Amino acid sequence: MESNCWNCGASAPERFCADCKALQPPPADYFVFFGLPAQLSLDGKELEKQFYALSRQLHPDIFARKSQREREYSLEATAVLNDGFRVLRDPIQRAMYVLKKQGLDIGEQGTRDVPPELLEEVFDLNMALEEMKFGDEEARTQILGARERFEGMCKEIDGELKKLFAAWDAGHDAEVLTEIRGLLNRRKYITNLIKQTETA
Amino acid sequence: MAYSDKVLDHYNNPRNVGSLDKNADNVGTGMVGAPECGDVMKLQIQVDDTTGIISDAKFKTFGCGSAIASSSLATEWLKGKTVDEALQISNTEIVNELSLPPVKIHCSVLAEDAIKAAINDYRTKQTKRVPVAEAVA
Repeated sequence: MESNCWNCGASAPERFCADCKALQPPPADYFVFFGLPAQLSLDGKELEKQFYALSRQLHPDIFARKSQREREYSLEATAVLNDGFRVLRDPIQRAMYVLKKQGLDIGEQGTRDVPPELLEEVFDLNMALEEMKFGDEEARTQILGARERFEGMCKEIDGELKKLFAAWDAGHDAEVLTEIRGLLNRRKYITNLIKQTETA
Repeated sequence: MAYSDKVLDHYNNPRNVGSLDKNADNVGTGMVGAPECGDVMKLQIQVDDTTGIISDAKFKTFGCGSAIASSSLATEWLKGKTVDEALQISNTEIVNELSLPPVKIHCSVLAEDAIKAAINDYRTKQTKRVPVAEAVA
């Protein structure tokens, strides 16, 4: 943190001010908050360790008798702690978080970032699902087969993502990030389809 | 979230659901998708060879009510327009007509993209068949 301590004015306070021990406002960035390197391949155990350690340090109960401002900061910090843990522990959500930070927000992209073959496939499976609702037995077999295929595709994507995560961490190459986004798009379509085969 | 009456109307009675022969020279097909929600939309136009007017339009959308309504409305608007006029249809017109809330604007964008993709497909086919058409004439 670059600013001074809100309480005593000491420079460069960390989570707590070194001089007066007052709790500082929490950093908004999840990686900074957890004191972890901003990497796509993250050590889950280290994250969990930090989560429990910080939970103990920042719990609002500890600040019940402190100043109003510290009580507010502990509430804010607890919110960042929980949100950040939920996002960072999941590789897909973590990747989407990093993409957003890098200006490649998955929700703000055009509709053309999906390969046409995938759309055709998604469309056909949806048609098959719809037919199934009218009790066509042949379609059911088709759907079960498709589901297996989609689950296989999903696994394949996860393997590829793992490699790309390591590649991004090694060089912060913008192209790698675009590739990751493409794969995440594809993965979203496929997980949606798997979900639909379950409800069909 | 509450849908507007017009969205509900299109959702409950979608216009022009179906498909046209995608291999026909005078049919253009647009297939688009929204990765963040997993929607997929297919929109087709059939153009009258002599007048250059869109004589038929069909769609099939797998997605939310707003995506279905946007594409249903689009097919209604397309019929009777020339290809150039059809290119003028913008997503904001769809948003206004259906009173779509901000979180559903991307559904109208999807419909606009589908129109453009269908026209693009039609035009690509036309440039390929020009010599044949002249030979026949």
